[in-house]
Amino acid sequence: MKTDDLIGLLATGAGPAPRAVAARRLLPVMLGGVAASALLAVSVIGLVPTALFADGAWWTKFAYAAGLAIALTWPFARLARPVASTRAPWRLVGAVVAAMALLGLWQFVQTEPGARSSELLGHSWAMCPWNVLVLSLPALAGAFWALRGLAPTRPRAAGLAAGLLAGAVGATGYALACTELSMAFVAIWYTLGVALAGTLGALLGPRLLHW
Amino acid sequence: MNPDVGHDDFESGLKPLWMRAQAGDDAAYREALARVARRLRAFFGRRMLSVADEVEDLVQETLLALHLQRGTYDPALPVSAWVYAIARHKLVDLWRRRGRREALHEPLDDLDESEHPVAADDEQPARRDLGVLLQSLTAAQQQAIALTRIEGLSMAEASARTGVSVAALKVQVHRGLKRLAALVKGDS
Repeated sequence: MKTDDLIGLLATGAGPAPRAVAARRLLPVMLGGVAASALLAVSVIGLVPTALFADGAWWTKFAYAAGLAIALTWPFARLARPVASTRAPWRLVGAVVAAMALLGLWQFVQTEPGARSSELLGHSWAMCPWNVLVLSLPALAGAFWALRGLAPTRPRAAGLAAGLLAGAVGATGYALACTELSMAFVAIWYTLGVALAGTLGALLGPRLLHW
Repeated sequence: MNPDVGHDDFESGLKPLWMRAQAGDDAAYREALARVARRLRAFFGRRMLSVADEVEDLVQETLLALHLQRGTYDPALPVSAWVYAIARHKLVDLWRRRGRREALHEPLDDLDESEHPVAADDEQPARRDLGVLLQSLTAAQQQAIALTRIEGLSMAEASARTGVSVAALKVQVHRGLKRLAALVKGDS
């Protein structure tokens, strides 16, 4: 078939271009990812005692994870398409992380020196990042599925964004099961879990995002 | 940035056509794709001297990709930047596949300068025949594509003739073109 014939085949009856392709693929995936990680966290680890829902610290933790996930959909959606600039989206993500880091630091310096190590490490620092990573896996699979139907031209960056987004979704689910209330703990170990998922995504991107 | 990208005649001529095409003007779409194909031929031709006989295949593969991904075009950006980003991606993907298979080591010295297809603006024959590849789609996909894309029937007319719903026909066309894109890549 000659290229002109192919062009005819593509253009004839083509109709208008589909709209909002990224949002249409991303939305179900994210809702599914949040549901899966929440369900896993609650059924495997167990929901936090309901008294914690009256604690501002718990809500701050939850808001950080959820806010990070929402912010990360921006670079993700940009990187799912060719040529879009990602500077502003990454800055927003950086701002969310920086806000949490400042909050953790502020609380940390106000803590008595003797209590500082438990402020930093809590009782679950060694588990937290790994739990976040495991809980991010359903969202990671979904994010890659979404990317494979779109047009990422920078596979590593797109994989990184997918991984970080999935990590933040995993962290949101994990917050439902995690009883740590120190801001410094959240700023360090939650963020590290999200970064682990991001690393996994960046490694997978170039392997999975061929089209 | 790539030197091919810029505010030149290509962009200023293509943009209005492309915007009309995105809104559903098939004639504008055809003209836009024809202009893009000429650009792609030159773009790949300059970069694929050692595999010059594959240029047209990659042009066709890229056109299919542009079509399947036309929903990802953001009107705030130059069309040419979007086209070249996808073309570059396709070229990188070709080298990746080539490296993996370690096929083809076409010696450049076999060619005289005059035979270098650098400036060749003419279409060389594609090595893979899409017409043949089309035959490996499912019967339903072939029929939907033949009626609406080759014979040029409207979806409603094709639906009346086949008794298949318009929605189902659209799905068959889309799946068929996606399958075709995979076949062109050799993913099978």
